[in-house]
Formats: sequence, C-alpha cells, structure tokens
Amino acid sequence: MRKPHEKTMRIPVAILSLMFLLLRGGILPVSAESAGGEMSPDAPGNPAGPVPSEARRMALETAGAFLNDGFRIRDGEWAVSLSKGSPVFLQVSLFEGNSYWFVSAVPDAGTRLRITVYDGEGRPLKGEEWKESGKHGGTRAAVGIAPARSGSYFVGVERLEDSTVEASLVYAYK
Amino acid sequence: MVTGRYFAILAAGGALLHTLSASDSAPAPMTSPERQEAVFVDALSVPCPGEVFAAMNRVCRPNWAALVTPATAPVSSDRSQLALAVGVLAADGYVAVEAQDGQQVKNIGREIMALAKGLGVSQSLMGRGNSLIEFADNGAWEALADELEATENEVKVTMVEQKDRELVTLTSAAAWIRGLEVASGVVLGSESLQGLGILRQSSLARSLARQVAGLPGRMGKSGLVTLTAGTLESCATLLDSPDLDSPGKKGADAPLIGKRRETLRKIHDDTGRLVREILTSSGKSSPSPSPAGMQGSGSAATSPGKNP
Repeated sequence: MRKPHEKTMRIPVAILSLMFLLLRGGILPVSAESAGGEMSPDAPGNPAGPVPSEARRMALETAGAFLNDGFRIRDGEWAVSLSKGSPVFLQVSLFEGNSYWFVSAVPDAGTRLRITVYDGEGRPLKGEEWKESGKHGGTRAAVGIAPARSGSYFVGVERLEDSTVEASLVYAYK
Repeated sequence: MVTGRYFAILAAGGALLHTLSASDSAPAPMTSPERQEAVFVDALSVPCPGEVFAAMNRVCRPNWAALVTPATAPVSSDRSQLALAVGVLAADGYVAVEAQDGQQVKNIGREIMALAKGLGVSQSLMGRGNSLIEFADNGAWEALADELEATENEVKVTMVEQKDRELVTLTSAAAWIRGLEVASGVVLGSESLQGLGILRQSSLARSLARQVAGLPGRMGKSGLVTLTAGTLESCATLLDSPDLDSPGKKGADAPLIGKRRETLRKIHDDTGRLVREILTSSGKSSPSPSPAGMQGSGSAATSPGKNP
C-alpha cells in the first residue's frame, strides 16, 4: 500500500507536450514578464533587467512546456553550483491539492543531473521524472509531484559526475 | 496524418520510457544536517498567495468577489510598515485576480507603486504598473497574476540592491499572512471546514517568524515588526495544534469540528488584526486591539503622519 506522502502525480499530457516540444525543437516561448521577471529593455521607464544565465534560460524554456497544461511558473530561481557527491537542497512549502513540476538545467550537455523531492523528514518521494541531455543543448531534468499533505518539503539537485557546473532551478504549480 | 501523429506519440512515449529506465539508483534520504542546512530562497521557499488560492479553488470554489477589499496603502514614513504593506497589497492583488476584478487590480497596482515610491524603489516599476493596467483592461488574468508576483519580486530585488534586504523578509511575511487570513476565512465559511488541510504550513510560519524576529537594529525592535513576529509564531503554534490534525478525516464529530473551528478562528482573527495594523496610517488607531500577550503596534501609531 502506498503511503500518503508517496502519492505520485500522473500528468501524461504535460510530459507528452514536453516531449513533443523538445522533439520539435521549438519549445514554447516564455515571456520575460511571466516567467523570469526580467523587464523588456524597451519597457517604458525601466532599465534592462539582469540577463538570465544560460542555465536559467534553459530551465525556464523547459518549464514553459508546462504552461499549456495550466501550470504557472514562479517568478524566481535558485542558482546553484553543483559538484559531484554534494547534493544541494532547497526548502519549499507545498500545498496539498496542487501539482508541481521542479525543473533544473545546466548548460553542459551530457551531464548526469538528478532532481529529487523529499518530504519534511527528508525521505525521497516518488514523482514523475523527466530528463534530457545533449539533444537541444545542455542538460535538463524535471520532477513532478502532487503532495498529499501541505507542509515543508525539500528539493535536492545533484550532479553525478566530476567537475563543477552552474545550475538553475525553477518550479511551476497548478 | 493521423497515423503519423500516433507514431509520434509512440516515439515520444518510448523516449520517455528510455529516459526513465536510464535513471540512476534511488536517492538516499536526507541527513539531519542536510535538512538543517537546506537553502531558503525567498523567491521560491515562500509560496506566493496564488499557490494557496489555487489549492483552495480545487476544494471549495471560494466566492472571491466577496473577498475583495478596498486597496488602501497606509500613509507612513516607517519603512518597515511600507514593506509589510507591499506584501499585504500583493496578496490582495491575487484575490482581485481570482475575482477577475480588473479595476481592483489596477487600484492595487497604483497603491503598490505609491508604496514603492515611499520606499525609494519605484524607478524600475513604471513598466510593471503599465503592464498591470494593460492586462487588467484586457482581462488577461493569468498574465496579471504573473505580473503581480513579478512586481512584488522587482520591489524586493530593488530593496536588496539598496541594501535593504531585511525589508524583503517583511514583504514576504506580510504576503503570506494576508494569504493565510483570506484562506482561513474561506475555510471558516465552510460547514465542514473544507480546505483546512491546505493551511497546515507551521514550518513556514515558524521560519518566517525567526527571520522577522531576527531583523537587526531599530527595525527589529519596531512595534509592528515585533507584532508580525509574534503573530507568525502564534500561527505556527496553532497550525501545529493537535486540534487541526487529520483535517481531511471524514465523519469528524461535532465537538472536534468545533475545536478546529475555534483554533482556526484564532488564526484568522490574529492575522486579520495584524493586517489591519499594517494598513493603518501613522497616527491613526487601529480599529481592533493587538492580540493578547503581544506588543502593540508601535510604528504605525507613533511615526509622524507623513505622506510618502
């Protein structure tokens, strides 16, 4: 019997749309306003915002595929340096009833990237996983989860090879 | 054409299975130090009010139009109060978006701009204000919600750039408190307290309480900041209460529901009282007293009335 916190999310439409968009090589455009929070340089009265890193651009591009399925991307990112054997963890607060996709990306192709959601006690949860490396530049990984309870959770990002790489993590909810 | 589409679906499914089967061995549970040292990033670790409202929409379809309140930024020279008010108004903006009340979103946008001006962080926000008006006029509700979060974040980024990082904590805390007040009111409106489980975020409340209580210097000693920390701590305790345990359990008896309602009412009243204090202009008394056992609202009552 499955424990409540191990409830998995079934979002085949979201995954298929992600696959299609990536296979087609034309991932949905993500507007700076809706996803990244950077302003358009020609917006009245606004200086150009900071240029997003390549990792963030790829993470947002990947998360953009979930917009079609009713997800909204949080206007924020976690930029982090990953090295082998040193997983890094972010604290998040999730709500029961919502569905979430956490997306991480690094500019290096062929990287083995792992993203995991843990409950408040640090137990890894089973979620929908998606990974892609090299085909469209960089490495992208995503995990989808629908928490059975509101509360504190952790998102872990890990690189499974030597050397250090800059990664970005964003998330979407609905 | 149809056959081609099915082949594409099969190919996509096959590729998906391939990626899943290629995944590495199962991750180990986190250690205690890893949990304690987990990073807290304001922009992601504090949920936006839209997240809790999305969850509420799934269980009880609130009447958002009835929850819209007039947008009133306080007149104050107290920067901590202005930062708190940005958070409250941002959360109110989400309520207006849920209610699809374009005029109210525009009003809130204007008030946030006024607060940003008082905080000296308005320069980069003009475009945001224009976008809010444009999206509201066009009924682009999803874009409006995104723009609200982006506006709030832009205020925070500018605060950080101006070495006012502690104000960011206040804005985030206030947005969450206002979201909790609204959501708890919605749950209280349901006979069986539908949606109660959604509110259980005691760790977040405690984490925000610690951050607010730890603010340095004069700001940390301000009455309104102390009241905010106290309210968050009290909410954390109440949200941890055994009375609220297993809220989704069906067939709960009347006394248990009564206890839950009482606990939730306390959360709703405490958060509501704080929100009113935040939105009360300097020199004016709040219509309600401070929660028992907590400091009164110092800054809002003692700062000289001055229009930012």
